[in-house]
Amino acid sequence: MVEQMILASECDVANEVICAPADVKELFELPTIFYIGDIAITRTIILIFLAAFIVIALLYFGLRKGSVIPSKFQAVVESLVQFVRKDVAEDIIGPEGVRYAPYLTAMFLFLLVGNLFEITPLINFPITSRMAIPAFLAIVTWLIFVIVGFYKNGFSYFLDIVWPKSVPIGLRWLVGLIELFSVFLLRPLTLAVRLFANLVAGHLMLTLLLGSGAIFIWNFADAGAKSLVGVAWFAFGLGIYLFEIVVAVLQAYIFTLLSAVYIQSSVHPEH
Amino acid sequence: MLYALSTVLLAAEEAEETGNIGLVLPESYELVAGIIAFGIVFFFVWKWAFPAIDKMLEDRQRAIKGQMEDAEAAKAEAQSLLDDYRKQLAEAKSQAAGIINEAREAAEAMKSDIVAKAQTESAQIGTKARADAATERDRALASARVEVANLSIDLAERVVGENLDRAAQLGLVERYLADLERMSD
Amino acid sequence: MEGSIEVLKGGLALMGYGLAAVGPGIGIGIVVGNAITAMARQPEMAGTVRTTMFLGIAFTEALALIGFVLFFIA
Repeated sequence: MVEQMILASECDVANEVICAPADVKELFELPTIFYIGDIAITRTIILIFLAAFIVIALLYFGLRKGSVIPSKFQAVVESLVQFVRKDVAEDIIGPEGVRYAPYLTAMFLFLLVGNLFEITPLINFPITSRMAIPAFLAIVTWLIFVIVGFYKNGFSYFLDIVWPKSVPIGLRWLVGLIELFSVFLLRPLTLAVRLFANLVAGHLMLTLLLGSGAIFIWNFADAGAKSLVGVAWFAFGLGIYLFEIVVAVLQAYIFTLLSAVYIQSSVHPEH
Repeated sequence: MLYALSTVLLAAEEAEETGNIGLVLPESYELVAGIIAFGIVFFFVWKWAFPAIDKMLEDRQRAIKGQMEDAEAAKAEAQSLLDDYRKQLAEAKSQAAGIINEAREAAEAMKSDIVAKAQTESAQIGTKARADAATERDRALASARVEVANLSIDLAERVVGENLDRAAQLGLVERYLADLERMSD
Repeated sequence: MEGSIEVLKGGLALMGYGLAAVGPGIGIGIVVGNAITAMARQPEMAGTVRTTMFLGIAFTEALALIGFVLFFIA
């Protein structure tokens, strides 16, 4: 909503083909709603807490009754939670996955709701398109798999990475270097950036296409024949909208899956 | 690694005013908000949602187990009832077969009895009738013989005109008749 | 002068990201294509193949993601 207003205030429908803000930041740094002391509470911060609230409400109302014969809603919530517990945590990490299941489940649900904010009408802003949440979760995953790796395997965890026995001796130092770089730096970085980048791109496309489509159609008096371009933008935006539903769910799943895989590689480093 | 991270962060701070680096770095307030929000979600999932779902699954397992045991018991009962019915049915069938056999035997016996009785009766009636006929004939023959003798004697008396010694004459007739009989045989 | 250098920098960064995306694009295509072949050959292994596929995509994609970050840093 806010983004569309930014677009509208700047867009010159007579001369532009598509409305784009002068600075992309304007689409992601949302205005402050109010202040608590010196802390500026932006719309993003409110949405972050809203996502947490929605997850908790979903779980609470889904599992509150705990009936033996579940209602439809309960069955959906149940299967969501059980999906992460069984199909992700236990199937990938193994029996020990039970210990990490709460973290993975909370992560999946929080990211799912956060991602789906992208396509929720009136919200239209994925909180995961801000680096804070992906970075935080990626760092937590990184800490978990590094600490678990050292705790379970001692120093040989590190040695196996920099001096892999399964590789011919001539190449061992090179593979070790790549692995060191990959495991300790690229894993958390790509984990965070993958989610962030997907949601940024999705949010950008949706705002620009739907926003400028709507503006061109609305200001057809100024735009003239160009409002047809607006119709095309809007139609394209709707297609992207459907695609983004898939992306939102898939990215939450991939983030959780990769976290599980990384943790698994520390629990059983031989695989 | 820490050094690399710090240089990246420093570079980010320098570039803050001009570039878009701010977009790819976490903003501190949002980071804090994200940590708090995720922490709440995590503790809720850990302390409330998982125990709740575990309890529910346990309940469900127990309920299903109970139901299955009930179903098992009901099935066993039905099986025993069915066996009983089958046994009773078989008994009834064999009884009915026995009764039918008995009846058939009885009927057979009765039939042969009746037939035998009828045969003997008819045989008796036949023999009796034959005997009656024989005695009747004998009696008729005897009486006819006496009559013939008497008539012949009477006739002879009339012819001769005197009383004949009846006894002697009778013997004569008898002898004569016997001769006749012998000749006719 | 300052403005035109800025524009040039932006254009170069965009081109850099475009080049960085080529390799991973091809790589992900190969990974997913082979994963589909594997799944078609052994459908009972589909779960394992899918997990490994995502892991492979994650490695391959890393280059494009680094390019994405560098685009913003530049």
